[in-house]
Amino acid sequence: MISVMASELFKLRKKIRAWLGPLLIMILVLIAFPLSIDISQYDLNKFYFSIIVISLLVISFLATETMFVEDFEDGTLEQIYLQERDFYKLALAKVLIYVLLIGVPMSLIGSLFSFANGVDASQLPQIFITLIFSTLLLFNLFAFGAALSINKGAMLGVLATLPLALPVIILLGRAIRAVQFGNGFYEIMALMIGAGLLVAALVPLVISITLRTHLE
Amino acid sequence: MLTSFIHKFSAPKSYVEMTAKLLPYIASCGLLLLLTGWVWGLAFAPEDAVQGNSYRIIFLHVPASIFAQAIYLFMSICAVMSVVWRVKLAAYLIKSAASVGALITFIALFSGSIWGIPTWGTWWQWDARITSTLILFIMYLGVITLHGSFSNLEKADRLMSILVIVGLVNIPIIKKSVDWWSTLHQPASITVSGAPTIDPSMLYPLFVSILGMGLVLISLGILSSRLHILGREKNKKWVQSYE
Repeated sequence: MISVMASELFKLRKKIRAWLGPLLIMILVLIAFPLSIDISQYDLNKFYFSIIVISLLVISFLATETMFVEDFEDGTLEQIYLQERDFYKLALAKVLIYVLLIGVPMSLIGSLFSFANGVDASQLPQIFITLIFSTLLLFNLFAFGAALSINKGAMLGVLATLPLALPVIILLGRAIRAVQFGNGFYEIMALMIGAGLLVAALVPLVISITLRTHLE
Repeated sequence: MLTSFIHKFSAPKSYVEMTAKLLPYIASCGLLLLLTGWVWGLAFAPEDAVQGNSYRIIFLHVPASIFAQAIYLFMSICAVMSVVWRVKLAAYLIKSAASVGALITFIALFSGSIWGIPTWGTWWQWDARITSTLILFIMYLGVITLHGSFSNLEKADRLMSILVIVGLVNIPIIKKSVDWWSTLHQPASITVSGAPTIDPSMLYPLFVSILGMGLVLISLGILSSRLHILGREKNKKWVQSYE
């Protein structure tokens, strides 16, 4: 498993556009939002989170779109299939590396921008953890979407799984409200961590069945 | 005996032949019950003390909402059969049920919006139940689009089945959304475990409408699946000789 993760890390690190692009888009969105409204009239720290949540959704969507395309086109997946090796490890490793290389910086950027927009510094760790588990959930769901329509342009599959991401967004919204108002955060966090771990364990299995179906 | 019945019925040929005989009865019973339920509910059921006559849309909205979820549940059962046992008919049924599901979910959302104007003062609210039903509608469209995008139909069947199974996670969220989140939408008046909180004079026509709509939707599903099966199996001998 470690060797699969190391190879996935190496591959993603080499594809600078795949991991740096989404992060730059996120920074751009977060900078553009306060510039596009009259900040003298609005209390930014009250609703700045919503733009973080939406950008998290869109960037996760964009980042995972090409997750399996290269491996499909260069025959890596076919080789794994012919060798009768399991796709589970590959899917798990891919999602974890994406979370590590894109999800963690995204969460960090989101937390820092919320601080820059008036959120109390003591709330930053809570916001960071919330965003990390949201990216874990979203990356898993969109990775499934990317696997679903791998040879048809992954956007279709990602769009088909978009409705599944909306409950995550609702949960994320509640977690952030709980941080803002200071009650019920740990209950929602427990739910989020539970869902995150369950999804992280099960979705790679679904992805591996999906990839196998494409190659049969 | 049950296993042999399932094996026999799950062959597309047997399904088409059997449903040809059943369809006229199911469709006419469904239409009759639905019309009875609507006439009873719209003309003879008493006026609601709080909502006046506007509540009468429940005779369309409630059955539509119930079947919006029930059809997805049916599709999930078929998806498991298609993925695990590779039952060809199950995949055909998912594809046909998805169109009927999308239609009835749209009706549920539309009728809910109409009901929202006199009761909530707005036709749309980003409320838990409405939003999750909208998600369900998009799921149906996603299933239809995904299937339509593959030229290899066997592969499309299998991928569509996987998506349907994963999407099942939305059904309990929709069902419990009114209990889990603070919402404008009222909690369910009819539950499996408790006594209904609706007066019998309104409840009976509602039950008749639900039953009627169920049968009408089954008829639509059968009709759509028969067309789909005949299209998919058009090169088979039994279709070419089928009248």
